[in-house]
Amino acid sequence: MWSRVWPHVRAVLVALHVVAVTVLALPVPDGVQDRATWQQPTVRQEMRDWADALNAVGFETTPEVLEDRLWHLAHGYATARDSVLAPFGPYYEYCGTFQGWRMFSGPQMFPATLHIDISEAGAWRPVFVERDRRYGWLARELDSYRFRALRFRMQSSVGFEGDYELFARWVAVRAANDFPTADRVRVRLFRYRLQTPAEVQAATPVFGQFEQEIVLPLRGTP
Amino acid sequence: MTGQVGRLWSRWVRFLDRREPGTTLALWRIAVGSCLFGTVAAVALAGVVPALWLGPADGGYTEPQANWLFRLLGGATRANVWVVVGVTLAAALLTTVGLGGRWPLLLALQGFIALFRLNPAATGAHDAVITNSLWLLFLSRSTVTLSLDCRLRTGRWTCDVPVPAWPRYLAVFQLVLIYFTSGVQKLSATWTPVGGYSALYYILQQPTWQRGDMSRAAWVYPLTQLGTAISWLWEVASPLLLLAYWYRATPERPGRLRRLFNRFNFRRGFVLIGLAVHLGILAFLEVGPFSWIMVSLYICLYHPDEWRAASGGRASGGREAAGGTTDERRSCERRSCERRP
Repeated sequence: MWSRVWPHVRAVLVALHVVAVTVLALPVPDGVQDRATWQQPTVRQEMRDWADALNAVGFETTPEVLEDRLWHLAHGYATARDSVLAPFGPYYEYCGTFQGWRMFSGPQMFPATLHIDISEAGAWRPVFVERDRRYGWLARELDSYRFRALRFRMQSSVGFEGDYELFARWVAVRAANDFPTADRVRVRLFRYRLQTPAEVQAATPVFGQFEQEIVLPLRGTP
Repeated sequence: MTGQVGRLWSRWVRFLDRREPGTTLALWRIAVGSCLFGTVAAVALAGVVPALWLGPADGGYTEPQANWLFRLLGGATRANVWVVVGVTLAAALLTTVGLGGRWPLLLALQGFIALFRLNPAATGAHDAVITNSLWLLFLSRSTVTLSLDCRLRTGRWTCDVPVPAWPRYLAVFQLVLIYFTSGVQKLSATWTPVGGYSALYYILQQPTWQRGDMSRAAWVYPLTQLGTAISWLWEVASPLLLLAYWYRATPERPGRLRRLFNRFNFRRGFVLIGLAVHLGILAFLEVGPFSWIMVSLYICLYHPDEWRAASGGRASGGREAAGGTTDERRSCERRSCERRP
């Protein structure tokens, strides 16, 4: 009896697996369900560009109307996707069938490098500079592949500001231990525009600015 | 069920009933086990277990997020995390050598999920590829051959007993799903002619991922443009691989497209481009074990007979057929290398 039924049971289970992984792998743009995200300057510009393009080919619309229609479409899609995914939740969580393959969807044109400095006798000196072998304090850890993933998110993604602050505190604890004469540590990002091939060939200097600076005292750090 | 739906269902059931020698699944198991071992060992060797997976009191930067396994163990304490690291490494070794049947695979899967979920900010796509691979291998009978289990049961390293082929089919589907959904999400203009196919050049300049100074790419910019166009087309066209398999399995049917696909070895082209892409990633970018675990999935693109032919061994006598009846297989079955239900 079971030997006759099993092939059909297996066929159902495999079909469910295929549905579960396929639906979860379907792309959902970041912030699609957060209307505030749609007000970001980059998104507003995209709406204007697309509205202009549609008007040029005879589809009368405005950026506001286009945004409203796209919002309803995207919201409906995301809601429908969520409702299909809900029953499969435990299957993803316990069986490791996680999906989500957005990889290098677009290069980060304004990346940032991590800089860590310590203050000794009132003067700052660098101890870690990303991609600079001269300043390699903690490089073994910070250059490991998992720390790179964390660094990328702290430097380029929205929602990881808390991780950045906690990371700075972690750096302070390590610095207090490794640099007993230092009194402060500074963690900051140097953000710059990537150079075009022509600019690189012409040896154009890289310009950028420091941001997200956190300075922490080392004395009294546990 | 009647009519068309019934016929389709019967074909689906028959398709999943196919069996083949376990060589491909065994090779995939060895690759995934090795990859998992390297992945976890690299975290330990770099000294980042405390920083990323432990709480601030134990040297971490943030509170770890304990999943059901750590909650069951009493929390993500220093001792528990290191125990799970050790058990996962041991399970990865057992998986690689094929000892203990499918259970080390489940242990490795649960240990690895528990570990990398401790810090969601320090994860990558490679983690999900590893867990998906471990799950499919757990469902398969990947230790029937090329394993210590096989050696202990039969006195030989290999065994021809047929195993269900559907886990391998699901692995191929997973591979295509990864590439296709990755490709369609590459919406930046830099992947298209509008952006001058500049994506690859700019990705190589990302300081977080690059292995070294990649400014020299500016002098071979046209090559990076070509690489951008090829790799994007290759990703979005990856579902054609499934079509190529279908055409290859049904060469007697009519159709110009089928004839074209069967004349041109689509799979070979797909694999060659894929290997070039992953070799490039490996050489120029530090993105963890991503290339290794993706290339391990390529093993599943080949029927066991093809692997055995490549190693100078004998074919099983049927490309997608149910087993065959070679003397070797009968001998293997006599030695009970496969438990019958």
